Amino acid sequence: MKRSCGKLLPASLVVGVLASFAMSPYADAAGRGGGGGGGARATSGGGARAQSGGGAQPGSGGAARQTAQVNNTKADARTNNVRSSSVNNVNNVNVDRNVNVNVEGHGCCGGGWDNDYHPVATAAAVGTAMAVTSAVVGSMVRTVPPSCVPVNYGGMIYQQCGSTWYQPQGSQFVVVNPPY
Amino acid sequence: MVRKVLALSLLAMLLAAPNAPAQIPPAGTPQAATSAVDPASLQALKDMGAFLQTLKRFRVSTELTGERVLADGQKLQHTATADMDVERPNRLRALMHSARSERELVYDGKTVTLYARAQKYYSTVEFVDTIGRLIDLLEQRYRVELPLSDLFVWGTPAAPLDKIVSAMNAGQDFVGDHLCDHYAFRQASIDWQIWITTGSKPLPRKLVITNRADEARPQSVSLIDWNLKPNFKDTIFKFTPPKGASKIEIVPVKTK
Repeated sequence: MKRSCGKLLPASLVVGVLASFAMSPYADAAGRGGGGGGGARATSGGGARAQSGGGAQPGSGGAARQTAQVNNTKADARTNNVRSSSVNNVNNVNVDRNVNVNVEGHGCCGGGWDNDYHPVATAAAVGTAMAVTSAVVGSMVRTVPPSCVPVNYGGMIYQQCGSTWYQPQGSQFVVVNPPY
Repeated sequence: MVRKVLALSLLAMLLAAPNAPAQIPPAGTPQAATSAVDPASLQALKDMGAFLQTLKRFRVSTELTGERVLADGQKLQHTATADMDVERPNRLRALMHSARSERELVYDGKTVTLYARAQKYYSTVEFVDTIGRLIDLLEQRYRVELPLSDLFVWGTPAAPLDKIVSAMNAGQDFVGDHLCDHYAFRQASIDWQIWITTGSKPLPRKLVITNRADEARPQSVSLIDWNLKPNFKDTIFKFTPPKGASKIEIVPVKTK
């Protein structure tokens, strides 16, 4: 299958930003992310790609993703207001969805393997929790507090900082409702 | 008088008309009822499933176009791609790309790792079983879906054909350069279509699933590409944390 243009995006920058952030949490990671991180990405990303690609699509990944990166800061807030009542997208025929009916957040997050984001606009009940840190759901930040703990839930990466949850988005983080 | 009777009978027919549709179907239904599930279409699924189960070592790639339904019913379309290197019964490496995420899933028969490349975070879980069981574990315990998981389920009891309430042959079609037989099915709240390569190697080339449970009817389209003689090495099934990667917890889904 030929690779389409949109697939190779993430992000030397993100890695650079996160890497430097991890080493020195107090620094303004976004400010110093750029060059060094990109270099690291070029070697590790390219190598991993070639390995996993098994030679079938040699090196097709790294290069394209170096130059472009998804930026959703201009996206309308309505794009996040996904119907919570439906399993929006069904990708497999033989998935027994019934087993997941009682899962919290069902239909909102995770689910399809193509689902890469967590809706942020459906948040009503979290107002009080948010007040603690005054982080408004849907707002973007360049860095997260040093106390945050990364966690994988539903196949997606979050940064949990007490009652506030962030999800990486491009080189930034968006405040989301707690996934559970 | 004659005219009056005629008018009355016409009126009677008109009045009876609302009932007519209820009476007409019986005339047509015997045929429809017996052929709602076309046996040859089910057989094509069985043949494809049996063939898929014979594949021991392969690379399969997919490009998916899916839809998200917004609160008001408007739909947004998105694209994701995945490449999977597979060796049955219990080794797999999947690379999944979408606009906002790039993930790798690696399984060597003993440990499954989910790795987020951009963030350089990975999580591992011990699990010793087949790829089929791995699909269940990921879906039910972690709500992580494997791309094209149907490929590992068709041809097994986990893909029961008796749930299909309608099956039909929709003729032939091309998917890329490949001549395919096109079939359409209905089961539970989904309609689905599959394009299976015509001939002795019945590989699925395209899968379309329409979710009828939502009135907006979101749909996914997966194009499928095959390499039955891949040249990957066995070492790709072993996850070695890249330099700078750190291990994080993966939390099982919470139930209410």
